Amino acid sequence: MRNYFSKKIVVDEPQKGLSTFVLPTGVKEVITFAGSLPCGTLYSPRKNSEISSLAAGMLDKGTKNKDKFEVSDILESVGAEINFFNTAHHVQFTGYCLKNDLDTVLCLLGEQLRTPLFLEKELSTLKKRLVGNLERSKEDTKKQAMIGLLRKLYPPHHPNYALTTDEKIELVSSVRTKEIKTFHKNTYRLGGFNFSAAGDVSPDTINKLLKEQFSRWKKGPDIPYRLDLKARPIKGKKRRIPIPDKQSIDMYLGQAIGINRRHKDYYPLKMAIYVLGGNFSARLMQTIRDEAGLTYGIGSSLSGTGFGSDGYWSTWATFAPDLLEKGKRATRNQIKEWYNNGITEKELKEKKTTIMGAYKVGLDSTGGLAARILSNAQQREKIEHLDKYPEIIKNISLDKVNKTIKKYIKPKQLTFVAAGTFDD
Amino acid sequence: MSPKNKKKEPGFKFIKASGGIEEYRLSSNGLRVLTLEEHSAPVTTFMVTYHVGSRNEAIGHTGATHLLEHLMFKGSKKFNKEKNTAIWSELQNIGAQINATTWNDRTNYFEVVPSEHLERAIAIEADRMRNAFLKDEDRQPEMTVVRNEFERGENNPFDVLDKNIWATAYQAHPYHHSTIGWRSDIENVSTKRLQEFYNTYYWPNNATATVIGDFEKKQTLALIKKYFGEHGRSQHTIPKMYTEEPTQEGPRRIMIKRAGQTGIVGIGHKTPEGLNQDTYALQALGKILTEGKSSRLYKRIVDPGLATSLFMYDFPFKDCGMFISYVFLTPETDHNSVEEIVLEEYRQIIKEGIKQKELDRAKAQIKANVAFSRDGSYAVASALNEALAIGDWTFYSTFMDHIIKVSRKDIQRVAEKYLIEDQNTTGWFIPQN
Repeated sequence: MRNYFSKKIVVDEPQKGLSTFVLPTGVKEVITFAGSLPCGTLYSPRKNSEISSLAAGMLDKGTKNKDKFEVSDILESVGAEINFFNTAHHVQFTGYCLKNDLDTVLCLLGEQLRTPLFLEKELSTLKKRLVGNLERSKEDTKKQAMIGLLRKLYPPHHPNYALTTDEKIELVSSVRTKEIKTFHKNTYRLGGFNFSAAGDVSPDTINKLLKEQFSRWKKGPDIPYRLDLKARPIKGKKRRIPIPDKQSIDMYLGQAIGINRRHKDYYPLKMAIYVLGGNFSARLMQTIRDEAGLTYGIGSSLSGTGFGSDGYWSTWATFAPDLLEKGKRATRNQIKEWYNNGITEKELKEKKTTIMGAYKVGLDSTGGLAARILSNAQQREKIEHLDKYPEIIKNISLDKVNKTIKKYIKPKQLTFVAAGTFDD
Repeated sequence: MSPKNKKKEPGFKFIKASGGIEEYRLSSNGLRVLTLEEHSAPVTTFMVTYHVGSRNEAIGHTGATHLLEHLMFKGSKKFNKEKNTAIWSELQNIGAQINATTWNDRTNYFEVVPSEHLERAIAIEADRMRNAFLKDEDRQPEMTVVRNEFERGENNPFDVLDKNIWATAYQAHPYHHSTIGWRSDIENVSTKRLQEFYNTYYWPNNATATVIGDFEKKQTLALIKKYFGEHGRSQHTIPKMYTEEPTQEGPRRIMIKRAGQTGIVGIGHKTPEGLNQDTYALQALGKILTEGKSSRLYKRIVDPGLATSLFMYDFPFKDCGMFISYVFLTPETDHNSVEEIVLEEYRQIIKEGIKQKELDRAKAQIKANVAFSRDGSYAVASALNEALAIGDWTFYSTFMDHIIKVSRKDIQRVAEKYLIEDQNTTGWFIPQN
């Protein structure tokens, strides 16, 4: 297992500004791939952050040489898929195909990224569907609670800030074809383009095919997004978001933590939070669910720390309306206990073996591998970082973990947001 | 491969092999064992499938199979909190993915482990097969956990609609109720009833142990014999579920009115038992109608913006099933027009059949799905689990062979046979603002 990734992944740059990471595995016939370009929401013009999202959504609506039905027909006739989506930093794609169809599928991918057909009529229909999805998301208690939390923790335009659903609907509705065309022209290009693949795949074939597709594509500098905003000052705030006719409430307790994943305290803090609520055998599931029976699901995690962002810690749970107050109190008590007394040597040892074992189990399928390799590349980490991860975890000390809890966690200033139908 | 060509494994009887998967029986107690060695990653999945699901429940204890599944994690003779060997800790502390699921026809418990820890997974599953505690003091807090799971499902309009369509389409057969059960049954079923359920169905002769991935067969079968061999077979015959659904004699309709934002249309038609030969044509028909942007319903409904998305499912179940298309409407679209488009496409296929190109595309999609169902040890075990549930694990290994044989005439024939008005149950979710 030592140096598994650095030994097996073939890293190349078939074209300047396009990096490939290819991992041949023992699986037969199937190939999973993923890729990204740095043109996500944060690269949208400030006046409308949804332009990037709509541009990504239009990539499967036809190219200069093929209408949308020809595109879908090519993929579906070989049982392959390519899906595009938008994140804060990237437009991403994931896909799969059988080995013999790789040529066809990557050729189409190239066309979709280079020469998409941004038709007015298609944009209008896409907007209608997106608005429908956004309207539906108003019923989603977990999503609405998360939006509420992020708005309390971060200022507008911060990578971790969230627009309200109504704000998004308004922005989506106002995007014009011209804006999408301009955005595509200015941001879709070589430079920070990463591509990963895993499965029954040859690195030479991937590099050859991608070179054919992108050798004449325009190039630009790979400039990372410059973060010029920080989280709001930590103050315990409360918000209830009423949504009628719901039998379960989603609740978040959270705070900004002020550091990103490259900070030296990141892994000790992550370990501390994992002990609190990282999996079923962690404290929150063991006490709030397994012993007290107050919830079906509760967990705690560190998020929003990638690409230089100052992230946040959040604890999430669901409760029946009549158990919300009791559940919240019990959760706060667990957090208090964790803050006051830290974690134990035994817990640290157990979670280290959990994480090391999970690292191995994660090698089980190609889908997970392609995503993991891509994420590493997006964070501008070397392949060796994937192999170093178990070592980093192994070297975390108890003292360091407990010191980071005291340093970053403010249990009395947690922001509370809940969404659902409240009893009172 | 004939049984004669197989190397004899001590204590086991070799039954058959298909698609690289081998079936054995533990001679002492009838436990079925399926194995497939695959060494590309240092990971093994171990899964135990019990041939009991919510189809084995009746009024008053709906949801009992699922609640019992939860209680199975509360401890057994050798693995419990008192001994500091609780099941979750024992497995999660080695990085295993561990969980269990319950559905209509089966309950399964699984561990995806770093290969060197396979023995621990086998030991735990063997112990809880017959030595689970199932204490009343554990049921009380677990009941509220499961009730919150139920409540979370009730938050979701699609879950609510789907539950109601099944409850309307099936009146006598236990597929009438969903696996989570009715709220009052979850709250009131007794621990004694759950113990009876356990003592009726949780026996080696009503279970299948599946091992997929990076293991050595001889050693692993020896471990299975060592741990599961501690149990005898049940002294009773495992009860058969005998309730049959009477013939439906006309279309049915259900409407759910709740607070919400957008509407949903669900159109279901009864289908036969999973092992029926028509299942293969129905699976291909489902792809032709809704899989991908070239599919008939996508082109007519989602592409012009009448809906945000749609999908259909026709899971093969043990006794009978349902071919259901779901459409998630955009805000201004009315339920009626979308329902009419779906039924019009059904009628069109019944009248004129499909194009060869459509069938070829459906087969290519299924071929890729089948190839990906071998991507990773858990994927294989999970697919086998569903085939076991309907009564024949080779349904998984021979699925593509059957799909290849499906013809355009078969598609038209099954559409004509099953997508008929008298077998239809339609449901609308109507949002109330």
